[in-house]
Amino acid sequence: MIASVDFKNFKALRATALQLAPFNLIIGANGSGKTSLIQAVERLHALARLPLTTPGPARRAGGPRISFRFNPPFAAVEARLECVSEASCDLLQIRPAHAPEWPALQAQLGRIRSYQLDYGAMTAPAAPDASPEAPLSPNGANLAAVLAAWRDRHPAEFAALVAEVLRVLPEYSGLELARTAGGTVTLGLRLGPGGDLVTADNLSQGTQALLAILVLAHDPAPPAVLCIEEIDRGVHPRRLREVRDAFYRLSHPAASGLKRPAVQVIATTHSPYLLDLFRDHPEEIVIAQKQGRAARFERLADRADLAELLAEGSLGDMWYSGILGGVPDES
Amino acid sequence: MKVALLSESPADEAVLRELVAAVLGGSPAWSAAGLRARGWPSVVQVLPAVIRHLHFNTDTDTLVVTADADDSVVHTAEHEAPGYFHPQCRLCQLRAVFRRTTRKLPPARGRNRVLRGVGVAVPALEAWLLCGRDATVGESAWIEGQATGRAPYTRAELKWRVYGTDRPSLPYEIRRAVEEIRRHGRDTRRLEHDFPGFGVLARDLREDQANLPGHPT
Repeated sequence: MIASVDFKNFKALRATALQLAPFNLIIGANGSGKTSLIQAVERLHALARLPLTTPGPARRAGGPRISFRFNPPFAAVEARLECVSEASCDLLQIRPAHAPEWPALQAQLGRIRSYQLDYGAMTAPAAPDASPEAPLSPNGANLAAVLAAWRDRHPAEFAALVAEVLRVLPEYSGLELARTAGGTVTLGLRLGPGGDLVTADNLSQGTQALLAILVLAHDPAPPAVLCIEEIDRGVHPRRLREVRDAFYRLSHPAASGLKRPAVQVIATTHSPYLLDLFRDHPEEIVIAQKQGRAARFERLADRADLAELLAEGSLGDMWYSGILGGVPDES
Repeated sequence: MKVALLSESPADEAVLRELVAAVLGGSPAWSAAGLRARGWPSVVQVLPAVIRHLHFNTDTDTLVVTADADDSVVHTAEHEAPGYFHPQCRLCQLRAVFRRTTRKLPPARGRNRVLRGVGVAVPALEAWLLCGRDATVGESAWIEGQATGRAPYTRAELKWRVYGTDRPSLPYEIRRAVEEIRRHGRDTRRLEHDFPGFGVLARDLREDQANLPGHPT
């Protein structure tokens, strides 16, 4: 949905632009702008929900500015975030000012979701959401409540999710939800047929991560854009293929036999093992390059010598070596 | 005969299990399930350690290892000459690692060394899966493409032809791959002919089986 983002003086992103694909995996050193990209998209989402306003006199020339362009049918619209400081972008303007596409685009921007999963929060019993159609919350804290709602309202999708969870985590034989006396919902995974129930607070972080990612991938009402940080966190390298496939299910639904609009995915990672899995799709990799205090984005597929590099080693090894950039400055 | 597999993914392993069983005339005993390498050159990096592990810590008879050729030099009959080694041929490289590693090992667990089953898929495993179904796919077509500078197909195209997408989910990839390779379950001669990189693996396996103590020769 988002075709490109253009940054001027926003945190480390002093002057850089990025064309976005249906799936985007952002790699780079700490502090190289990966999270800033996601924050910009989050800010677009937040400001798009408010009435459009005109700029006040306090804007400083040359201040932070983020410009978004969109794919058809919104290609004629530019959304521009104006910021009063690097930390505060509080104004959204669209061009042309009265674009007839804006109401429809605004609705789509309202369907942006961003995640930074918090494994501590995910293990706590979840209070039922006010809306039974509430999505997974940004830190995943309502995971059990979301699953309970799906079980009741979307039994087919819930059954498909459970089947996928048990395929990816074959040591378990069932996903169980229970309501506590206080009305909250707890979840657990049953170890083998008739085995012990492993409650959420006893599941490993990697298991929780896979569970949450599969929930995102099987959402009956998926977002338009999904941003998520550190998609490899806690997951065994051999299971990263499942992580990649789960997000491909969102970004390329036809490849999974699904007939629904694609979800644009913007994800970050620090895992060379995950990067290895994108050898056949270097166009999906974005390298955040930081030099001094300034950072810029580069598409891996734009490297002229990519074919030669891939003939000599894995993408993950190439990244770690520093050949691709996107590594910390150790000097 | 006890066989271990070193492969890139669960899908590759599923295919290799089918092929090994087809060549040997029945499923062997499997050892050390799920040994993995992360593509080339990871496979040659981990191979010595895998061989030593299997030799000292298991009763594995044969280690089967395959790699994708990608754009590397394809193994040809010329490479089979005694003492020949092509440094850009992945099959020659894998065999050399086997030779170097096993030569130094003392006998263990009642055998002198872990036997070798090495193959290279040209340019990728999906080409093997299309053998007999897509007449345009074969090692000779690939070699001709290398000679003329016009590749007859890409890795991505092969994936599309097998899976209908270049982003198959893992379960779908395994299901389709096994469906296709089972066409060769009773007779691997076509695959061996069209893909000599598989033919040498089949030959290794038959020799390994024949050399086992107690096997009728």
